[in-house]
Amino acid sequence: MDVSDIIAAHAAKQKAVTVEKEIPLDIDTGLLTVTDLNPIDEDSYKDNLEDYLISTARDGVQALIGSLFSLPTTASPDGPLAKLPPPVYQLPRAKPLPKPKPLTKWEKFAKAKGISKTKKDKKVWDEEKQDWVDRWGWKGANKDKETQWLSEVPANADVDFDPRKAARDARKEKIAKNERQKLQNLAHAQKSSGSTPSNPGLQAQASRKREIEKTLATTRTSTASLGKFDKKLEGEKKLKGVKRKFDPAEVSANQEKSNNLAILSKIDREPVTKKSRKSVPESSSTGNDVLNVRKAVRFASKGRGGVALAREARALCVFIFV
Amino acid sequence: MLRTVKPKNARSKRALEAREPKEVEDAKTAIFVKGTHTGEVVSGVMKELMALKRPNAISFSKKNAIRPFEDTTSLEFFSQKNDASLFVVGQSTKKRPNGMTFVRMFDYRVLDMCEVGVESWKSMNEFKTPKSTPGHKPLLHFSSELFDTHPRFQQLKSILIDFFNGEVIESICLAGIEHVISISLGPTPSSLSTSTTNTATTTTLGATTSTPSAPLLDDSTKDLPKVHIRAYTIRLLSSGTRIPRVELTPMGPSIDFSLRRAQAANPELLPQAMKRPKLKKQDVEKGLGKKKKNLEVDEMGDLRGRIHVEKQDLGRLQTRKMKGLKKGNNGFEEEDEDGDVSMDDDDEDDRRKRRRSE
Repeated sequence: MDVSDIIAAHAAKQKAVTVEKEIPLDIDTGLLTVTDLNPIDEDSYKDNLEDYLISTARDGVQALIGSLFSLPTTASPDGPLAKLPPPVYQLPRAKPLPKPKPLTKWEKFAKAKGISKTKKDKKVWDEEKQDWVDRWGWKGANKDKETQWLSEVPANADVDFDPRKAARDARKEKIAKNERQKLQNLAHAQKSSGSTPSNPGLQAQASRKREIEKTLATTRTSTASLGKFDKKLEGEKKLKGVKRKFDPAEVSANQEKSNNLAILSKIDREPVTKKSRKSVPESSSTGNDVLNVRKAVRFASKGRGGVALAREARALCVFIFV
Repeated sequence: MLRTVKPKNARSKRALEAREPKEVEDAKTAIFVKGTHTGEVVSGVMKELMALKRPNAISFSKKNAIRPFEDTTSLEFFSQKNDASLFVVGQSTKKRPNGMTFVRMFDYRVLDMCEVGVESWKSMNEFKTPKSTPGHKPLLHFSSELFDTHPRFQQLKSILIDFFNGEVIESICLAGIEHVISISLGPTPSSLSTSTTNTATTTTLGATTSTPSAPLLDDSTKDLPKVHIRAYTIRLLSSGTRIPRVELTPMGPSIDFSLRRAQAANPELLPQAMKRPKLKKQDVEKGLGKKKKNLEVDEMGDLRGRIHVEKQDLGRLQTRKMKGLKKGNNGFEEEDEDGDVSMDDDDEDDRRKRRRSE
């Protein structure tokens, strides 16, 4: 059997898909890029530009397609997927590399102890509804105790014990605790990772510094001589906008009298506080009573408030009727 | 700087998270922005480039007084606002007609710039041929030795790869390869072909020049050859082998431009931008990044290995053969030894027995 024809045909086929170049083409399959480092042929360039460009491009693309089609492939509904190698040519990134997230306190502990995280499903099976319900959130399973129509009351419970409120409080407490821990972790992370100028950690520090400076300024002007004779530290700056102010030494008798009376009246008066300021309109509405109602209620309810007192009274009445 | 906002709902939180730096980055978005005056040529070319870059392209329809080589603040602002890291700024002036500036950003700051002047162009619509699907990845073809030797063209190549094909992908659908963008240069002038090696060593991508504000690449652009950008659609014909035969059809656009000003990569930003993430665990397991023991590269760049050998057993060393030293020569001695050994064993056994009996 003569196979020379077949061999020749095969060689011809191979010839059609292989590219021969003086300098071999530089192919980067990862970036789908081919670079032809052969010098431009000036004659054919000037002779017919478009034909020359298309022919060099064809050679390059043929070589690139050749290397792409010889990559290992996996089947997909849209056709074969060629697995690309990582690119050789290095391009600059658009953004810096992400910084590793600092571990939370629990994560640190778990790492030290070798505890691996088991992920909880978001849904739990509800036997009553015979359905999957969310563990938390809207109509979440963690609110069952607050929404059920009948709830158990322990035998030694207080009269005003509200099991729904207790369950809700416990849940809210948990949420608050989680939030607190989250904030602590955030603060710790900021402290450990030397913060940048736009960091909230540094902002907090700056605000604290401002506050301290303010307090210091107040104390410095708190003496009669506005800190003129205070001990000074090295490098302490002189406060701006601070001036002593003296009343004139000679004033009329009337003026002096009123000045002194003003001082006396100030001494005599009760100190003005927020509470007393608030209670002024209240007392005026109820008449000038000696009895401070708010105080009395607080005393009678042992500090639990008027609502609790009323509830207690109602319960007592029921008890008496029974 | 834009003020940093704390997200108030889940959607804005997701949007902010999508902007955070990633280990493997998404495709870079390009903003096409017009300067104070753009002629018909520049706006047409920008439209064509945008058609190739879609869907990762944003077009600014209004004019902006931007001079990238003088003031970069508005570029930085646009970049941050739109989360884009590439710019094409079109500007046509009397001194520099039909100019387009390619700007690359890193971390919302300008990394490098390259200005080109459009000399002639042909729109995609003028070619009455089938077009590629928007969003498909193009192949890239560069043709000239200057892309390897001349710093200006090295930069241009880097920018154009980044522009058209920057995204690193793991796999590609072979049926989806539809078009190729070919970038070729005019014939290399004799002045460059002799002196390229010198210029290349002095300024490779501008990293070696150490002036703090990013240096301008050398200004002599009159000798540089023209750049021809062509886009072709690919037809794959069966060749009888696994690899198909390729035929190209011009798709458009075709753009010819010459290089003008350029700014090399900012020496402060470039090392940060070139940092690679550490290899992933699976890659390490595969052995790509595995640290090989006892291998090192010396100053000459040769790979040197170190092997450890067990301590040599000198008892088995082959020395000079002499008749008298031969082992198996004397049969009597051998027998004697054997006998001795067995007797010894018996003795020991006897002793043990005796101890037990005691």
